[in-house]
Amino acid sequence: MAAGAIDDEILAVGRDVAARFPSAARRPLKALDDKAMDLASQDDQLRAALFRFVDVVPACRSLDDLARHLSGFLDEVPEKSQPLEVAMRMSNTKAGRTALGAASAAGVRHMAHRFIVGETPREATKVLQELWRTGAASSVDLLGEATVTSAEADRYAQRCAQALDELAHVYDGLPGRAQLERDSMGALPRANLSVKVSALTPLLRPDAPEIGKRDAGPRLRELLRRAKQRGAHLHIDMESFDSREAITDLVLELLSEPEFADGPSAGLVLQAYLRDSPALCDRITAWAARAARDSPLTVRLVKGAYWDHEIVEARQHGWDAPVFEVKADSDRNFEDLTVRLLEARPHVRPAIASHNLRSVAHAIAQNRRLGAPDEDLELQVLRGLGDDLQHALAALGLRVRTYCPVGDLVAGMAYLVRRLLENTSNESFLHEQARGVPLETLLAAP
Amino acid sequence: MSDFVNEPLFELRRAPERETLLAGLRALDPELPLDVPVWVGTERRSGDAIVSTDPGNPERVVANAAAATEAEVDQAVEAAVRAFGAWSSRSASQRADILMRAAAWMRERRPRLTALAVRECAKPWGEADGDICEAIDFLEFYARGAVALDRGPQLFQVPGERNEMRYTPRGVVAVISPWNFPVAIPTGMVAAGLATGNTVVLKPAEQAPGCGLMVVTALREAGVPPDALALLPGEGDVGAALVRHRDVQTIAFTGSGPVGLEILRTAADVPTGGRHLKRVVAEMGGKNCIIVDADADLDDAVPSIVTSGFLYAGQKCSAAARVLVHEAIADALVERLAGAVEVLQVGQADAFGTDVPPVIEQAAQERVERYARLARESGRVAADRDGVPAPGWFVAPRVVTGLPADSPILHEEIFGPLLAVDRVRDVDDACDRVDQLPFALTGGLFARNPHTVERVVRRTPVGNLYVNRPITGAMVGRQPFGGNRLSGTGTKAGGPDYLLHFVEPKVVTENTVRHGLVI
Repeated sequence: MAAGAIDDEILAVGRDVAARFPSAARRPLKALDDKAMDLASQDDQLRAALFRFVDVVPACRSLDDLARHLSGFLDEVPEKSQPLEVAMRMSNTKAGRTALGAASAAGVRHMAHRFIVGETPREATKVLQELWRTGAASSVDLLGEATVTSAEADRYAQRCAQALDELAHVYDGLPGRAQLERDSMGALPRANLSVKVSALTPLLRPDAPEIGKRDAGPRLRELLRRAKQRGAHLHIDMESFDSREAITDLVLELLSEPEFADGPSAGLVLQAYLRDSPALCDRITAWAARAARDSPLTVRLVKGAYWDHEIVEARQHGWDAPVFEVKADSDRNFEDLTVRLLEARPHVRPAIASHNLRSVAHAIAQNRRLGAPDEDLELQVLRGLGDDLQHALAALGLRVRTYCPVGDLVAGMAYLVRRLLENTSNESFLHEQARGVPLETLLAAP
Repeated sequence: MSDFVNEPLFELRRAPERETLLAGLRALDPELPLDVPVWVGTERRSGDAIVSTDPGNPERVVANAAAATEAEVDQAVEAAVRAFGAWSSRSASQRADILMRAAAWMRERRPRLTALAVRECAKPWGEADGDICEAIDFLEFYARGAVALDRGPQLFQVPGERNEMRYTPRGVVAVISPWNFPVAIPTGMVAAGLATGNTVVLKPAEQAPGCGLMVVTALREAGVPPDALALLPGEGDVGAALVRHRDVQTIAFTGSGPVGLEILRTAADVPTGGRHLKRVVAEMGGKNCIIVDADADLDDAVPSIVTSGFLYAGQKCSAAARVLVHEAIADALVERLAGAVEVLQVGQADAFGTDVPPVIEQAAQERVERYARLARESGRVAADRDGVPAPGWFVAPRVVTGLPADSPILHEEIFGPLLAVDRVRDVDDACDRVDQLPFALTGGLFARNPHTVERVVRRTPVGNLYVNRPITGAMVGRQPFGGNRLSGTGTKAGGPDYLLHFVEPKVVTENTVRHGLVI
């Protein structure tokens, strides 16, 4: 198919998806959130103040303490709108601080609930089952504090093992959903857990990947065994570039062990913002072709969530950033990698994770161009950010999996702040969409 | 001249860069031990009065050094006096060119120099790399700084007179350097002296003569005249002889408090025939505290405290010795900190991933173990371990809590991997305790309320306060470094005004009125 033809197809698919987005009128609360985020994204200082506040909420010991922090941050915003002036005045009295603290805590909790589906998988049961009924699978991610000790690594591994047990029950007895349970490469587990290697060891060292691998290995191996036993999918998330070598090597080495030849279904992540991701893609697909495992390796393709971190670290050390600095370069690379992964089937299962309508439409159109059925493509979104897209994709009968963080507010804050930052970034697709950028522009090639 | 930028560290998260350093070590090892002479003018006298060994393997000799005699101290200073005229008459930019050539010399040999710091001082790779990069930074930074300083400040002018201020070099600088930044610190002090037109005599630490040789070699190869820079390996007596020498005008010293105070006392006496008030630039010890408020994020605070207290076995003047934590989160902090310290990698400096290498020498090992015994007797050791690697001067990293307020562990500089944690009522209580210490080098604060941060900034006496990050790792040009109170003379290495300590100001006012006319 010529470039023009595929672009026409992407446009057609994109329009099709967009037409199935739920209308704002049906979701008044979300519209309000979007408005608040839009406001924050117009004022960098206000945005910084609000994020610092959200970030510190779990560490505050009282409503009074909350209000003192809020006013401390707002103090640094030079031009205060009227609501901010009101908040500052409230913080001058004890009663005012209590009211302000209560209101702001409620606001943060409300926001957190949009992104975090429950404190434990059991508590998230209703949400996960509701997702299933509306045509979306899930991957559960356990939020937690950073792992700095061996005891914390053990605790996280324990929580993951328990989650694998609980998830099996969550999905018991739900009606069949053909597009979520099978593709032409075989059956897909309903229970799906995403885990982080950085939480499985306190010893991930950028300059000594062996040490982290040695320490995390036994814990991850146990989880693979549990997933196999439970018939669940285990997905290993990718994090910052500092740990990429350790994580990639560890996952591929463990999955090469003979005991995992016949399961579990497992996967890892490819970050398209990394300049050298095409080489890693080759390495992964070559490994998958050689691996002789029963189930194909799921490769979740993402843009990458640590862009700011990578840039800051590179600038502070005088290094070339490992990530593309121009967003369009990441977007283009994402499309190239999409095609490579689609072409690497049946050894890999591509899972295209993006909220960018163009990237998603591109994957669907390329999949069709290759003559593959829609069921052989998985699309993934984040709970709270990709809800509308999830609904639209499900309505089209496509396989969509929603990444669902589970955990308490303290543990969830780092995740929440990252999501909020993404959502209010002026370059973010969602932000552009919310601003009403025309569909043709949103769907143009990057 | 291009703008200053910090020399980028090796990107050790990439395997090929790690291999580059390992190759440097493989090339260095067969060449050991190095021969470190007394090097005055073009004369080199070798010897083996001083033997520097690998702290991780005391059988391995890294360098054999001669020890300078009193007569050689005199010869070195005389040579420096002789060379002063010509060196100080060169333009600032000519001297700057030489310094930048020395930086280039080091840059070309980074893997080898890094490997030498690994071997001679047991600096783990990342730390050793930082040391060499900092040395390069000092050369580049002071070269540019001296050129800027040479332009002099603007003075107020009125009709009929021309006012001009210049800075001129003071004369001969004696540099007495420590072993813990065995390349960076001597390079910095020597470079500051040379850049501003002084001539220099370097007495490197007796534990690190090999690194000292590299500093002098780099500058000599770059074009510093032989008489303008001498190398005098030796023990404390060599430093003492330099300090009291009549013709040494400036002493740049980094090291322990007692030695620093002795230098200041000696320098106060004008020797017979002396024509200068000796100036002392001294960087001494610290008892650096990190304050942790109740709203701190322990996910950040714990790793930062561990980095600050234990990397390079706590042997940095900036290292954290105490944590003052709000009682509301003290238990959680101690539990997590102890767990994090228990998994620290104690091992050889040449192994990637090592956090806690051996300490510099047997005496240091014994000193730290003495404090550890005291900690067990008078407090609770929250993190400890049985057995450390051997051979080598290894010490287990430890966290101790519950010490009595008058415990020496809370007040004396230990310079090893022993970190004391005390509970405080609040941030003001913590500030009071910091204020009671005679030292004021670095400090840390973990707090998120901007009002708290501002309050601590106002109250702290320390020279370098780090907020919500580790308290070590000052970068040239970004975190000018140095302490106040008994921690030093308040100078800031790698800062905009450091060079002023190596010069004397001179103001010239010329009458431009002649016959009632301004000519």
